[in-house]
Amino acid sequence: MRATSGRAPGDRAGAPADPGRPPDGAPAPRLTPRVRSSAAAGLLAAACIAWAAIPVSGGGTGTRPALVVAIGCAALTLARLAAGDWVPPAGIFENVILRTGRMLLEVLRAIPWAEGTVIAVLALEALHPSRPWHTGLLGVALLAFLFAVHLAESDARPAVLRPQLPVLAAGLGLLVLGCGAALLPAAGMSAASGWLRVFAVAAAIVAGALALPI
Amino acid sequence: MTTVAPAHQPGTQAAMRTPGGPRPVELSWAPSSHARRLLTLALAGLVIAVTARRAEFAAVAAPALLLLATWRQDRPRSVLVSTTLTASRMVEGEYAAIRVTLSGAGRHTVDLRIEPASAIMPGEQDTAGVPFTAAHWGERAVGALEITLRDRWRLSEGRATIPLPRINCYPLPAHQSTRVVLSRLPSRLGEHAARVHGEGTEFAGVREFVPGDRQRRINWPATTRRGSLQLNTFAAERVQNVVVLADATADVGSPGSTTLDLVYRGAAATIRAYLASRDRVGFIQYGNQLSWIAPATGRRQFHRVMDAMLAQPGGWDARSAISRLPRAALPPGALIIVFSPLLDRRLVETLRDLRERGFTLLIIDVLNAVPEGGRDHAAALARRIWRMEQQAIRFSLRELGIPVVHWDGEQSLDEPLAPYTRRMMVSRR
Repeated sequence: MRATSGRAPGDRAGAPADPGRPPDGAPAPRLTPRVRSSAAAGLLAAACIAWAAIPVSGGGTGTRPALVVAIGCAALTLARLAAGDWVPPAGIFENVILRTGRMLLEVLRAIPWAEGTVIAVLALEALHPSRPWHTGLLGVALLAFLFAVHLAESDARPAVLRPQLPVLAAGLGLLVLGCGAALLPAAGMSAASGWLRVFAVAAAIVAGALALPI
Repeated sequence: MTTVAPAHQPGTQAAMRTPGGPRPVELSWAPSSHARRLLTLALAGLVIAVTARRAEFAAVAAPALLLLATWRQDRPRSVLVSTTLTASRMVEGEYAAIRVTLSGAGRHTVDLRIEPASAIMPGEQDTAGVPFTAAHWGERAVGALEITLRDRWRLSEGRATIPLPRINCYPLPAHQSTRVVLSRLPSRLGEHAARVHGEGTEFAGVREFVPGDRQRRINWPATTRRGSLQLNTFAAERVQNVVVLADATADVGSPGSTTLDLVYRGAAATIRAYLASRDRVGFIQYGNQLSWIAPATGRRQFHRVMDAMLAQPGGWDARSAISRLPRAALPPGALIIVFSPLLDRRLVETLRDLRERGFTLLIIDVLNAVPEGGRDHAAALARRIWRMEQQAIRFSLRELGIPVVHWDGEQSLDEPLAPYTRRMMVSRR
């Protein structure tokens, strides 16, 4: 009597695993949505900072600190996205370097660096003289940056944003409307005139929003 | 105190692997980090617009505010979730998956993620479920499943965490395709060609025909040459009883390839190889406690042995004094294959005792580590003495007629066993 067929018990594993090759059933390595979105977020953050900072010499007092803060926050946002959900292997006997690294990772995850980037970039833009179309474009880029960060964080594909497209388009329309209103010449140079313009633009935006069928 | 007990019966844990049907899971809802960032953009734009009297910043806030205005409160408080593991047992490095059935989520998108326990590495969610693998053998907790529901605007997130069942991860068997076969086999039908004549298929020789023999076995060329009827004879096919003894008293070496890892991986390979050739395989685990499984055949026996490996933790206890293995675990004429680093003197005495009782033994030495210590002369001398002691132990076993081969855990087991697999191993009494 000879063994004619059938696999040996436990034969699923076969030979020891080749470290360079994923085991059977493992997902094939590919560029994940997280990596793509993180790269997009990095590029958009760099573009926003550069757009808001140029010209550096043309800004008021505090332009350089705001620039440094914006760059720092953007870099840490990217570091946070790169860290993802990675958990360093825990050990009983950890040295100081490992413990410090673990603590820094916790700090990196605890602080909302993306929000800091947004505030710093807007402050950087506000330190420059008024240029409504320039600020409008910056707003669009910041919005794209926030969406890229969200996609990278949730490891989702851009298709998940499809339901938001009508609202997003309407929002961009309001942004154009607001910037256009801001481009209109002011009635005077007083503080009250400035506030009046702000409220007028806000009212135009609200009116536009109320008219939207959303 | 020494406890001697038969290993636990299989199937008791496998039934617990797949939890029951769908169960309600409460969700805790909170604004998503995306919503918080949009709110930050809107508030920062409005604050700068008012303080700096720059109307264009109010325009920057407009899209974010409009997106936030789509916030809805219609969201499920709980969902029905059922989880199933695709396998109740797995092998180191092999992927299994958790299949999740979720209902009551409405139009919300669902993300599933494993919060891994120790030595568990999750993969990416796909249509088959959430895959994961275990980096090391053992009875392992998989971790917890984190369920995240997001509304279509991705402004709010509902989260829930449910614990996952445990899974048995078997040691990855090493490669072994050849087998050591004894020259004297018990008279039970099996697959190994024995020295005695019988009804097998392997040609053994020719002999004179006697009345009553089957005519179809007449060897006509030999009959023509010799002038009388000659008959083909065949070797009997016998089964072999093999007992694998795993020494779990020591666990030294680099993590991932300690002596205990090699013992279990080698034992798994040997058990698999012999069961594949329909032999009867038994198992003895020699550790703090002694547990054994009587020889049997089949796939079920393989899983029974693997479960027994995981059930008993390894370790060394000075109080235990096992020097004789129970007769019930050792069928007469069995080949005993021992996987051990030979660091426990009591085991060495046990092996000597087995040899004196007439059993045929083959030891696979898995010791690949040396004691670490200082670099001074005394430490080097101590290491040298230790090495000489180890050599003396192996020499004394060889002197008793027990072959000792060394296995590094990386090469195939066929290589160290080659001198004994090329021909039948003579069983001496």
